Amino acid sequence: MTKGKAKTRSKDLAGEGGLFPESVLSRISDKLGIPISEVSHVVETLGQVAQVAGDTDRIIEEYKGDKSALIQILLGIQRENRWLPSDVLMSVCEKLGVPISRAYRIATFYKAFSLNPQGRHQVSVCMGTACHVRGAPRLLDRVIEAVHIKPGETSLDQRFSLETVNCVGCCALGPVVVIDSDYHSNPAKKELEAVVSACD
Amino acid sequence: MARLKSAADLEKARQKILSKRDPTKPCVTICSGTGCHALGSDKVYEALVSEISKNGLRRRVDLRRTGCHGFCERGPIIVIFPDEICYLGVKPEDVPEIISATLSGNRPIDRLLYEDGDGKKIAHEGEIPFYKYQRRMVFGSNRLIDPKNIDDYIALGGYSALGKVLFEMSPEEVLDTVKRANLRGRGGGGFPAGDKWETTRNTPGDIKYVIVNADEGDPGAFMDRSLLEGNPHSVLEGLIIGAYAIGSHEGFVYVRQEYPLAVSNLSLALSQARKYGLLGKNILGSGFDFDVTIHRGAGAFISGESSALMTAIEGMVGEPRPKYIRTAVSGVWERPSNLNNVETWANVPLIINRGADWFTSIGTDGSKGTKIFSLVGKVKNTGLVEVPMGMTLREIIYTIGGGIRQGRKFKAVQTGGPSGGCLPESLIDLPVDFDELTKADSMMGSGGMIVMDEDTCMVDVARYFLHFLADESCGKCVPCRTGLEQMVNILDRICEGEGETGDIELLEEISEVVREASLCALGQTAPNPVLSTTKYFRDEYEAHIEGKRCPAGVCKALISYYIDPDKCTACGICLRDCPVEAISGGKNLVHIIDQDKCTKCSTCFEVCPTRFSAVVKISGEPVPVAPPLGTKVARKKGKQE
Amino acid sequence: MKKVRLNIDGKDVEAKKGMTILEAARDAGIHIPTLCYHEKLAPYGACRFCTVEMSKNGKSRLVTSCVYNVEDGLVIKTDSPRVIKIRKMLVELMLASAPVLSELASQYGVDKPRFKSEVTQCILCGLCVRYCAEVKGANAITFVGRGVNRRIAFVDEVVSTGVCMDCRECFGICPTGKIPRETDGASFEGITVQDVLARTQSR
Repeated sequence: MTKGKAKTRSKDLAGEGGLFPESVLSRISDKLGIPISEVSHVVETLGQVAQVAGDTDRIIEEYKGDKSALIQILLGIQRENRWLPSDVLMSVCEKLGVPISRAYRIATFYKAFSLNPQGRHQVSVCMGTACHVRGAPRLLDRVIEAVHIKPGETSLDQRFSLETVNCVGCCALGPVVVIDSDYHSNPAKKELEAVVSACD
Repeated sequence: MARLKSAADLEKARQKILSKRDPTKPCVTICSGTGCHALGSDKVYEALVSEISKNGLRRRVDLRRTGCHGFCERGPIIVIFPDEICYLGVKPEDVPEIISATLSGNRPIDRLLYEDGDGKKIAHEGEIPFYKYQRRMVFGSNRLIDPKNIDDYIALGGYSALGKVLFEMSPEEVLDTVKRANLRGRGGGGFPAGDKWETTRNTPGDIKYVIVNADEGDPGAFMDRSLLEGNPHSVLEGLIIGAYAIGSHEGFVYVRQEYPLAVSNLSLALSQARKYGLLGKNILGSGFDFDVTIHRGAGAFISGESSALMTAIEGMVGEPRPKYIRTAVSGVWERPSNLNNVETWANVPLIINRGADWFTSIGTDGSKGTKIFSLVGKVKNTGLVEVPMGMTLREIIYTIGGGIRQGRKFKAVQTGGPSGGCLPESLIDLPVDFDELTKADSMMGSGGMIVMDEDTCMVDVARYFLHFLADESCGKCVPCRTGLEQMVNILDRICEGEGETGDIELLEEISEVVREASLCALGQTAPNPVLSTTKYFRDEYEAHIEGKRCPAGVCKALISYYIDPDKCTACGICLRDCPVEAISGGKNLVHIIDQDKCTKCSTCFEVCPTRFSAVVKISGEPVPVAPPLGTKVARKKGKQE
Repeated sequence: MKKVRLNIDGKDVEAKKGMTILEAARDAGIHIPTLCYHEKLAPYGACRFCTVEMSKNGKSRLVTSCVYNVEDGLVIKTDSPRVIKIRKMLVELMLASAPVLSELASQYGVDKPRFKSEVTQCILCGLCVRYCAEVKGANAITFVGRGVNRRIAFVDEVVSTGVCMDCRECFGICPTGKIPRETDGASFEGITVQDVLARTQSR
């Protein structure tokens, strides 16, 4: 993240709905000797956690607090929050009356879940068979080059998360990369760069 | 529309819908399945809306967004009724001309039509070879209806089979019809659906479940997705009929969350059906109650296994159960639970409407009806094809699929998903049905058909599938978890050029134990990709192991790229595009690849203009010594010798 | 209770209906080796070590004896060449991540192990996880991940309540001794959920 961008970001946080004024963020940044982008990142995460707590109740309510809906509830939270903080897992399990071990098990078993904050843009490269035989590994190399992270990683500025997926069911267009919810059929290097740079 | 209270109400409703529709009125349909959507059909649709209204045609032309037509590669697809003019690869900028020429002037636009090998244009969708030789009885309605509008389905006679069942047939008669039709499960093993229904029906218990398996996890297969997205009511109608026959009042649809459009179209279908009285309490006034819950799968291939799927519905991690008791007897919460896949359910209304005799008149002795295949890979016309059971691989791949892309040579076709097998050219005339595929050491699976050409390395394919399966294994039982891990290691080693004599035999030895000792079908069938390739393509394994050569030129560690100094024109394209700056050269100087820097990404090979073809790929032989840096090119750019 | 008659290793055996082959064999004094079985826990069927050869109506197949219920007329072989071959491969496969099994492996003639893997000293029999859940109701230990990355891990949120220090019953039932060794009898650091995830995800 460039310095300019970090600044706007911390301003956003300081503004409406922000947790701390920007002056506080920069004081923390100075004191700890870490860039302000890192500080605002942490603060943003805290803000998200506060936000999720509210959403969680609504999602649990949607499923009438049914224990057997645990996976569905976690999917709902994952979708809105992009990851599952452990205190959120804890509170969901308490409300449903299921052991927290079950939530960890589910969250680490299924691909849809993440226990770490995810990037603002989700990049998924399809590794299905049809894509594989039509050159998915080479597309993956191009994507890695464009977003500068490896599969399973999230960029430090939380711009992208990259993952490989096993078939998105779009086989006739393979190889395919899905960026947020847009499908791109075998984009060349330049096309990919254009799409990536359009993501803020 | 008000709630329908009888079969007569349903027919009245249908007549009312039809009376509002003029079959001669032009109707522009645009595919909005996932494939066409990915290719930009939304923008084309927006352009159509605005052009139609700009030209004051809103009353004179209908516009409909339909489900997937199957010819996904050539999307976005538009079909204009009543003449069924089919346009492929339509862009928003084509829309004004479509309105002025075709809709107002009745003239087809040549450049948007399908062109066959001889340059002949084909205007009607049904005449295009890709469609012409198919038999689309399950998938055919997709192109006619808007999946978000239940009236479209009812207009085609939808839910009449349900009406017939509820008012004219006993559950036993329904069961008998499905059994006589010999409908076999389209999701994997091909188990007779009627027998399974009967087991669940006959198992004692007040509460029984019926379930749609829409956890289409086979990579390379997307027919269930397209059916559920494009015609959700047909699946739902089949499910309700099954519930009636089995005596179930509660159903589930287990659908992958990776299919967001399927989830939303299905949710909408459920609420529309409830509103019409086709789902819920007292369906069509018959006294039969039945409702459905959607359960989204969170991303695990193993969840398609029946006991794992049912464990997941209970809200636990979807791992297979170790029991020797069928889910039809003891499934969700240990209650009798009948599971069939999307395509199987979608066949049910057809069988009820047209009878078991009609159904058994299609197909082969042991496999009746049609099967939808996802024909993908290195074939020209990729997409979804529905053909009668028993059509040969050759007909599917060549007549419908148009043969291999870019004039390459056919090498193999992979069927049955990760647990299936790779069939070689010698089996190209195999009639495709459940039993023939099994006899050939592959399987039907859910219907993936991935065509491979001479540029596909079969060892790499086996390695690919084993990686997939090791990644998707739940890891519970020892043979599957550790056996696949070791098989992956060996295959990696072979592809890395570090294979040793005896590796093939070791793979086979592990395979046997994984096959015999694993807990569930994933493990039991996981060695198939290895066993079918060591059987049919053993020479390729030997080339990798003994000759350190990848005949297809795929395995990076065994190939090198080299620029032929006699052919290089110093055009500079490869030099510019090489991502690791491994190529040196200059104006009029022969370009040279630094083998130590080269990552074998293949970029230079792909970008070198075909008229030069100066970059060559070699395997199993030493890289020729490059000329010294600074050598002048023999050939000039743009000049042919 | 209805009786079922079957034959195990040439011996006619009478068993109660609803029993598994393993239970019937043990009652009759016939040994079938197991790794994930525990009489206080629901059968799990994961190690596959108790695989036996079963013949019914002249057809023979391999079944897992800890989950297969006895039936009249079954003929069971607990140590046929087919069974031994499978156990030998299973132990060789497990040995790669759990070298502590070397004695068992040599019993099956695995002299020169051919496989390598990350050494975890855990065979994922799940005894600890299941015992903690089914017998103790504490759910302090769980599985995380899947496939090759599947591991056992202590749940930080539960361990921190002190419940584990008062119990430690999983220490004794761990067949490879991983838990007592790695927990040092006091600290669970290194095998909590967060630790394990940090390790497997960085691979």
